[in-house]
Amino acid sequence: MQKNLTYAGAFLALVLLQIFLLDNISLSVYFHPLIYVAFIILLPLDTKPIWMVLLSALLGITIDVMTGMGGLNVIATTATGFLRPFIIKLATGHALGSDVSETSLHRIPEKNFRWYIIAMVGLHSLIYFFMESLSMLHIIHTLLRLIVSDIAAVLFIYYFVKLFIEKILNR
Amino acid sequence: MYKLIEFIRRIYVVLLFIAIEAIALSHYAHSSYYTQAKILSRAHTIAGGVQSSIFGVKHYFTLRGENEVLSQRVAKLEQELAYYRNKDIDEQTDSLSLEGIDPTMAESLSQYRYTTARIISNSISRSRNFITLNRGLMHGVMEDMAVISPSGMMIGYVVGCSERYSVVLPMLNIDFRTSGKIAGDEHFGSIYWSGKSPYRVEMTDLSKHADIEIGDEVVTTGLSHFFPEGIKIGYVESYAINDTQTSYHVTVRLAADMTKLNNVILIENVDYGEIANLENNPQHEN
Repeated sequence: MQKNLTYAGAFLALVLLQIFLLDNISLSVYFHPLIYVAFIILLPLDTKPIWMVLLSALLGITIDVMTGMGGLNVIATTATGFLRPFIIKLATGHALGSDVSETSLHRIPEKNFRWYIIAMVGLHSLIYFFMESLSMLHIIHTLLRLIVSDIAAVLFIYYFVKLFIEKILNR
Repeated sequence: MYKLIEFIRRIYVVLLFIAIEAIALSHYAHSSYYTQAKILSRAHTIAGGVQSSIFGVKHYFTLRGENEVLSQRVAKLEQELAYYRNKDIDEQTDSLSLEGIDPTMAESLSQYRYTTARIISNSISRSRNFITLNRGLMHGVMEDMAVISPSGMMIGYVVGCSERYSVVLPMLNIDFRTSGKIAGDEHFGSIYWSGKSPYRVEMTDLSKHADIEIGDEVVTTGLSHFFPEGIKIGYVESYAINDTQTSYHVTVRLAADMTKLNNVILIENVDYGEIANLENNPQHEN
């Protein structure tokens, strides 16, 4: 129960940070880090696929309603949540070992853990930015947005997830 | 039957995923800036207080620059007022002098009504950006009101209102369209944002007969029902004639810094309802 509340807290914190802080930073059209995807990243490894899809959709709906984005975030988050098991497999290979009793992200070795975050952030923002532009006309512009925003998002999410699983979840 | 149930049990997550994606895609495809602004203005009835506080802190650090802009604007308006006062003295013999007219009546004679608001949320990093203001229906703000900066530069127009907040479609939204012209010239073109830079917009279909030079001022035409004529949009940064040699494509450097906005002025076209009624009245379609 307490674990669920902790995850609910992370959900709320990420949504609030995205809407009230990052969406209001007027640095550049290329700087649009989507950090709320960290919630999907840090869900336990044994999360049932149905919950992955539903929680990801809930995250997308919340951001869409608060920012008036009309479904764009639901498209990106639900696809990311649905594909997470495949990404974990791809990023970790056989590095996870056979200890199925440990469901925390601690099980993922550091190097694979970084690839896991990069792949999740990359997949999510790839869907988001290409669906937003809906055109191949400005592909260089879209790719630049994707790269700049993803560097910022990966850096933030890496430290956020580390802090969450090491300091908060294992308290 | 058992096999079918077993099959659905195996793929129900995929089915759920496809269903959610299909609904979201359909909703996204049918959403317009109008529906997005409606959702946003409703969301701000919940989150508006927090947004307002956060922007209030940010606002505090820009007060000095903003005061300077306002002082310059006041000085310019004082100068204009002095000009009209002098003109009034020159025309004292004219029986239609405004002296003696009730100020409220003078206001009612004007086509435009002005009010101010503070920005509580502003993004530039999306292709469809919106600005939220801390004034709504209860403060007299309505849809279709023009929004300009304190120094008189064009920002956008109101597309959604709740009781206490309103949502503006700014120039930095790929759905934004208005007409513009080179100051002092009557040929006009269509203004839109390409989504590439927060400092530039594009003007297309400007007649090749237009008198254009780099650095020329680009202003509103008055053909739009939202904006009064002559509101400054920006300056010509570059221009080129199109492939068919019929019109210019102009890159306009924005006069307003859309990344540093705090306060805005809202302009209501008092005659807009009357004009819209006339235009929509089927009796005139002969």
